[in-house]
Amino acid sequence: MNIVAKDFTPVTTVPPLKASRISKEYLGGTFKALDDVSFELQENQITAFVGPSGCGKTTMLRIIAGLEYPTRGRLEVFGKNVQGPGPDRGMIFQAYTSFPWLTAMQNVEYGMKILKVPAAERRERTMNFLKLVHLEKFADSYPRSLSGGMKQRVALARTLAQNPAIILMDEPFGALDAQVRWEMQELMIELIEREKKTVVAITHDIEEAIYLADRIIFFSRQPGRIKADIPLTFKGGRRIKQKEELLELPGYAELERQLFAMMREEIK
Amino acid sequence: MFLGLWEAGHYLTPASARKFFPSIGEVGSALYVLFAERNFLQDVSVSCWRIFISFMAASAIAVPIGILMGSFGNIRALFNPTLTAWRYLPAASFIPLLLVWFGPTDQAKIALLFIGVIFFLISLVLDNTTAIQKEFVEAGLTMGASRRTILTGIVVPAALPAIFDSMRNMIAVSWTYLVIAEIVGAQDGIGAVMMRAGRFLNVDVIMAGIVTIGALGLLTDLIFRGICRALFPWNVERRS
Repeated sequence: MNIVAKDFTPVTTVPPLKASRISKEYLGGTFKALDDVSFELQENQITAFVGPSGCGKTTMLRIIAGLEYPTRGRLEVFGKNVQGPGPDRGMIFQAYTSFPWLTAMQNVEYGMKILKVPAAERRERTMNFLKLVHLEKFADSYPRSLSGGMKQRVALARTLAQNPAIILMDEPFGALDAQVRWEMQELMIELIEREKKTVVAITHDIEEAIYLADRIIFFSRQPGRIKADIPLTFKGGRRIKQKEELLELPGYAELERQLFAMMREEIK
Repeated sequence: MFLGLWEAGHYLTPASARKFFPSIGEVGSALYVLFAERNFLQDVSVSCWRIFISFMAASAIAVPIGILMGSFGNIRALFNPTLTAWRYLPAASFIPLLLVWFGPTDQAKIALLFIGVIFFLISLVLDNTTAIQKEFVEAGLTMGASRRTILTGIVVPAALPAIFDSMRNMIAVSWTYLVIAEIVGAQDGIGAVMMRAGRFLNVDVIMAGIVTIGALGLLTDLIFRGICRALFPWNVERRS
């Protein structure tokens, strides 16, 4: 299946996503949401976009998703130029987007239906993913009767079932209360680990970013630029499943302090 | 409460004028006479039929146009000026024209009801469509859905309950135009019966007509709610 190898070109690591010199201007250039932003994502890494409100991190995520277009710059997914949305980049929103007119099961199936996955396979994958997000008992429930956390789990299962190369998350747990929030964070780590996905997650929550991410890209505001690109080396290249374990690691407090200081600098 | 006020009003009216403010009992017996002896059922069904046909026709056109206008900016730009102008024209002003074109026929009445409803219904459906949560559409886009799938698979089901609510409200407006249409040059229908009764100062019959329309309105509303519950089980508030 490796096209690069078939062409007898040397196998280089093509990044799952490469953003080159992305700028986004509004009001005829008077407002620069993003100014000359470049970065590459690495396969199977979770990258968190962190920064103060109005720093352009949401705009960047929406540009990657194809829901907005950059004023300048280029976006490549596995070396291919992309414009507009596509199922190779799945998105999970902060607002609940599990469709209320479909049951949990039909919701999870929906993305695969769009991709014309054969019915038998679709059913099997649907049940499988519902199990993974612990909703198999609620397969026939409508979202209306599900809690916020459960609705987000439906959305997560729907996105994963489509098997996208990259998963984009726009503060997916922002609307959830504290306890459900960390349950969801742990579930997400588990699923991402299992499904081997490249993830970009936006968060306001510094603690959440440190817990989830392998790398943090910190945005500064007006104009939106990358202020810092921080690999979370203190975790020693692994993902910590239980949050309390993370707090014990040397380097955690220092990183958190550093991020808070950066945030304060931006707010001033 | 309302019935109590009504009955009190009747007895507070001076005896000489009580004829013009009949009691509930009198209106009730007028209703009985209407149905039993004057074939009122025929008039009622004629009126219902007019509402039904005109409303179905108006909805069949207004709902798709409203959804398309709500979904696509260019279609909205194309229709909106015309729509806005028509909405400001009182439907009743078409009565003389419709009478000249169709005469005092069923078509004239159905056309009036149609005109009275369609333009408002289009703008309501348009609003219902644009009011859906935009993330539903964006979620569809990121899943790779085509514009067509997004329209039929996401926009329509998301907007439909609100659209049915709009229809339920507009059918009430339909009843208003029905009475206007039947008062002006009609031989049958509830409005015509009331108009004839007015000529002979039969206030009890007029009130019987009003009560009938009220009851029919209530019934339509109940039917609509029933249909909504059956069509959108996912939207039903769970009673706990």
